[in-house]
Amino acid sequence: MDFISNLALGFSVALTPFNLMMAAAGVTIGILIGALPGVGPPSGVALLLPLTFGMDPTSGIIMLAALYAGTMYGGTITSVLINTPGESASVVTCLDGHQMALQGRAGPALGIAAIGSFVAGTVGVVLLMLVSPALARWSLSFGPPETFALMLLGLTTVTLLTGDNPVKGYISMVFGLMLAMVGFDIISGDARYAFGIPEMMDGIDFLPVAIGLFGLGEVLAGAEAPKGHAVVHGRYGLRDLLPSARDWARSRWAIVRGTFMGFCVGTLPGAGPTIATFMSYALEKKVSKHPQEFGHGAIEGVAGPESANNAAATGAMVPMLTLGIPGSATTAIMLGGLMMWGLRPGPLLFEKNPGFVWGLIASQYIANVMLLILSTVFIPLFVRALRVPYAILMPIVIIFCITGAYSLKNNVWDVGQMLVFGVLGYAMKKLGYSPAALVLALVLGPLAERALRQSLIISDAGLGIFFMRPIAAVLTVAALAAVVVPAVRAGLAALRRRVVVNEASVADKTTRG
Amino acid sequence: MRRADRIAGAALLALAVAFSAGALTHYSYWGPNGPGPAFLPFWLGVVMALLAATLLVGALRSSDPGAPWLPRGEPLKRLAAVLGATTALVALLNVVGMVLGTALFLIVLMRFLDRTPWPLTLAVAVATAGLNFLVFTRWLRVPMPVSVFGF
Repeated sequence: MDFISNLALGFSVALTPFNLMMAAAGVTIGILIGALPGVGPPSGVALLLPLTFGMDPTSGIIMLAALYAGTMYGGTITSVLINTPGESASVVTCLDGHQMALQGRAGPALGIAAIGSFVAGTVGVVLLMLVSPALARWSLSFGPPETFALMLLGLTTVTLLTGDNPVKGYISMVFGLMLAMVGFDIISGDARYAFGIPEMMDGIDFLPVAIGLFGLGEVLAGAEAPKGHAVVHGRYGLRDLLPSARDWARSRWAIVRGTFMGFCVGTLPGAGPTIATFMSYALEKKVSKHPQEFGHGAIEGVAGPESANNAAATGAMVPMLTLGIPGSATTAIMLGGLMMWGLRPGPLLFEKNPGFVWGLIASQYIANVMLLILSTVFIPLFVRALRVPYAILMPIVIIFCITGAYSLKNNVWDVGQMLVFGVLGYAMKKLGYSPAALVLALVLGPLAERALRQSLIISDAGLGIFFMRPIAAVLTVAALAAVVVPAVRAGLAALRRRVVVNEASVADKTTRG
Repeated sequence: MRRADRIAGAALLALAVAFSAGALTHYSYWGPNGPGPAFLPFWLGVVMALLAATLLVGALRSSDPGAPWLPRGEPLKRLAAVLGATTALVALLNVVGMVLGTALFLIVLMRFLDRTPWPLTLAVAVATAGLNFLVFTRWLRVPMPVSVFGF
């Protein structure tokens, strides 16, 4: 029954006027940010994080979590109306959502996405509430070797899943870890790689890096060619949004499937909402009785993935809160925020800060209700926001990046650092590297190093300790598989290509001979 | 893209070697009761060197020059203008201050890069600068940089 009393505690925290206001602000800003092409959930969370420094951590995380849920829906609006995904978790929504809009059915497409998001978000919180305490209790038994193996798994899977080129993905990750080495070493006190610069001795803060990579980097990429986008016109009254009985019958089970799959995928380290949407779309197409309609405005193709991404966004909170391992770039930035507020994410969080954890969980219920209301009643307003030209939006976002980086420690050094990483983020994006892997590695780096060194101190078999304890062994092997499998696959592909080339040249010679 | 990969591969390889060598020369690899501050950096450098070498060799052997990754012509000019204006603002932040800097930055980019009509430009510039001041300086009490004029 402590479950009910915990939830009651949570609601007593979440229902204070200030926290309600923060949840509302988070959802609204989230929808707007998600709707802006090029500014996705990680940049939204990174840009808003400085605003929360003056607040109580609970209010801060409530706003950020509400914002994360909001972005998932905001991205849908642009996908449906202008065929440009506002963030990566809405890419598949373009396929059928935009087709529906072209057929004059933008209303039901947005409506079913809002309903799916609400159902998925709410069920997701129930699952979060049921799974997290058990997981937290289980992970209390983790020692340094298990912690390190888990972090390794998180790092390798994120790297594997976010980039198109595994080598560049791993380069991004190792570079992030190298950046994490800068500054005072907690055990020996050496100021590593600081070159005598006082600002470097404290290490490289992840926030200016995240704002630069995701905020400024994206803006620079968008600055090259200002795209005028055509918004599909339509009517967005409440009645226009309601799906018909036929739509409803077709999408009911898609929402249910999307919810459960999305949540499960979201809890895995490294797999975030984006992967969940692709999997949900593939699943819907497979189970559908009329797969030929997919890509031509099948409503299941919107309902499934849109439910999956909201469920996954909630699911991604599970490893972040219980294990301290973020599953995506967005949760990595939230994790960095938790650490800045002086909270230590992980199993002890549930015991030491119940008001924080349960307040967050309860506020997720409220945020989902708000999301449903805002996304149905205020759609016309958000559609109008889409018409704000990039020429106005771009400089404002840059100002946000500068202010955010400055307000971390009130110095211009961090702003300069943000600028450098902005340029790096632009290049990484263009050249196929993974900014998400870099940020995750930077956040986890110091924790991973401590766990690694503690493990080696207690070990009498060197690195063997990671293979001798059962949980650590499973996690380590899984982490290594994420490195080895793509390497072997690339090797086989290269070999096959060579064989084909050889055969071709042999064939060439025989015909000539 | 191929050329960029070659340059990145070579630069990262050099960085990795310097990183590992720096770790070993300045910090201790193994302390009295376990791995020292040089332990992880050294191995990170080794792994990075392997990855950079893979990238470099792949790019050197590739016969496909790939698509250029930097834009040319007008888009490049726009990119340079935005980056230049941002760099100038950051460099001069302590001289022009946040409020004045924000307004000037918005005017420069909106009016001179994108030809936004003057009334709209001024309205957005003043509103953004004002909002920025209210939220950060007044509400959150962040001591924002001020201009030489004191605001």
